[in-house]
Amino acid sequence: MSPARDLMVVLALLGASAGVPFLGGDYWIGVGITAFMWVALTQSWSLLSGLSGYVSLGHVVFYGLGAYVVVASWEVLPIAVSLALAAGAAAVFAFATGMPVLRVRGPYFVILTFGVAELVKFVVMAAEAAAGNASRLILGTPEIETLFFLMLALAAAATVLAWGVRVSRLGHGLRAIREDEEAAETLGVPVARYKLLAFVLSACIPGAVGGAMALRNTYFEPLQAFDPMISFSMIAMAVIGGSDDLRGPVVGAACFVFLSEMLWANAPQLYMIILGLLLVIFVLFVPEGLCGRLFRSRGA
Amino acid sequence: MSTRRGIFNTVITAAFALALPLDSALAQGAKPVRIGFSIAKTGIFASAAPSQLNAYELWREQVNARGGLDTGREKRPVEFVQYDDQSNPGQAAKIYEKLITQDKVDLLLAPWGTPTHIAVAPVLERLKFPMVGNTAASSRLRDLKPGNIWFTTAAIPDRIGKELAAMLKENGVKSVALLTNVLPFSKEIKGFLEPALKSAAIAISVNEEYPPDVKDMTALLTKVKQANPDAVLALSYPSDSPLYVRQAKELGIGAKFQFVLIGPTIDFFPKLLGSAANDIVTVGEWSPARNARAKAFYDAYVAKFKEKPDYLDSSLSFLSCEILEQAVKTAGLDRSKLREAIGKGSFETINGNIKFKGVENTVTKTGFLQIQNGEVQQVWPASMSTAKYRPKTSW
Repeated sequence: MSPARDLMVVLALLGASAGVPFLGGDYWIGVGITAFMWVALTQSWSLLSGLSGYVSLGHVVFYGLGAYVVVASWEVLPIAVSLALAAGAAAVFAFATGMPVLRVRGPYFVILTFGVAELVKFVVMAAEAAAGNASRLILGTPEIETLFFLMLALAAAATVLAWGVRVSRLGHGLRAIREDEEAAETLGVPVARYKLLAFVLSACIPGAVGGAMALRNTYFEPLQAFDPMISFSMIAMAVIGGSDDLRGPVVGAACFVFLSEMLWANAPQLYMIILGLLLVIFVLFVPEGLCGRLFRSRGA
Repeated sequence: MSTRRGIFNTVITAAFALALPLDSALAQGAKPVRIGFSIAKTGIFASAAPSQLNAYELWREQVNARGGLDTGREKRPVEFVQYDDQSNPGQAAKIYEKLITQDKVDLLLAPWGTPTHIAVAPVLERLKFPMVGNTAASSRLRDLKPGNIWFTTAAIPDRIGKELAAMLKENGVKSVALLTNVLPFSKEIKGFLEPALKSAAIAISVNEEYPPDVKDMTALLTKVKQANPDAVLALSYPSDSPLYVRQAKELGIGAKFQFVLIGPTIDFFPKLLGSAANDIVTVGEWSPARNARAKAFYDAYVAKFKEKPDYLDSSLSFLSCEILEQAVKTAGLDRSKLREAIGKGSFETINGNIKFKGVENTVTKTGFLQIQNGEVQQVWPASMSTAKYRPKTSW
């Protein structure tokens, strides 16, 4: 399928799920918010890591920063402004850290992104402890339905952005970098600029998503907002769904939300075991992800 | 391919089977009242949570033996719906949302600990579901004036700060070392304790914080040893309290007043630490000597679980059930009536009469307990004492 048709399919799916608040109760609205959150995060991660091959293991840092911005500006700024600020802060942070971080490749890049995320987590923890806060509560956040549509919009925006990058020169350049960075540079791809641009673009929506989730959780605690499991889950969803396919993050997120809803409450440990097993199986046997395997074999 | 599909089907079937509610309906006749809660079965609070769960189970057993929970019109058996929150406050918040919106439980009991209560409070506010708290207190949350959670304990951080400073002053303490776990309850206490110590003219010679999952306190305690204060105030949690006592013993910290915030009242603490636990002062305002109900609770608990109840958390958990039971008897299961009944009612519990002002139990006095020869004694305030405070002279 062409990228434009993929985009239509994903947007149609997201559009159809807008009916959930009118059909299901609060519980299903909550599940919807979680699903859209993962679609938005995984699309953003794939935009950088799926296309360029630079695997970020620390994408939670943008999510956490966004959450922190929204919580810190609670009752100071209007929500719309603080959400925009959350996206902006994540983008600025990506720009500032991207320049040194994107100089290293392969496993060094993976470890460095993880390290940066952990560093920021502990800096925020120390700052909060110094300010006398062990955790923060925000009461009076928007209704769950409002947050549902906000997260739906963020998932759609992340999808459109991911599509836009894929069909642009930037996307082709990133794929060239993934296949052979030296060759791409020789051919005139502005390697450093493209990588940095992709890093910044992949950071801003997770920033806003983090902010929106802070409104949903109404509770902020650095260990949770910067939980490395969020980064790992984005990668797992992209790998299982297919990271170089616009539909991949949606399929990956859907699988995980389904699995998680069945297991998280009664068997949280089993959930983690299955997650790990799936990741191993997919990396070894289905590296192209569900979308890559299903749609290729149907096409063949 | 068919084998693969077979495996897939087995995995899905197993997953669905595990997703079924843990407590199945056993009662016949009247429809059970379903009461939901999350419990820290795993993670850093797991060593403390059994004393809460035991109290809940004892209460359920006693209520069901009396014919069920009186909802004003009929008696219905009590059934629990419980999940492991892994000591993760975010997970607990998700669980309470699920209990209310998907499991549609009739009533709620509290999770373990202040961080978890704080995380759950906004869910209760949003879904307007009343819950009597127990093992938690937060001055900050109290000041936000929530309407669906209540603190049954008298161990509210601002009150602890004031009372502890008063007790230290009365016992001639001139300098303290303050060690604080960065969890909300201990951090809040620290915030109120510092000014209270200052106004009591008690110097803070060491003032350090440490993370909740601390594994070694030697570096902190070396500083304490060098400063040689009259008292050490370890604002600790059950997972790090034994660590403090063990390492303070190893280093031979000589302070005569040893305060350990949470943990010493749990049955395992003196068993684990032996004589080192002796003469340690901790927070708490309950003893079996309080009244006849308290004695009956103590005896039933020991008979059922073959160990002593936690003087802090088992008693708070049990009395939160007593409050809920009495409120349900007058208001039934209607949430707004129940909220009003809890907020305005007066309750007879194993810790005497309890009433709330806002979210706070203002009747019970803030107190301190001390382990004396393996037994927990009330040593502060004087009006509630079961024994006199004595200095810690040896490990």
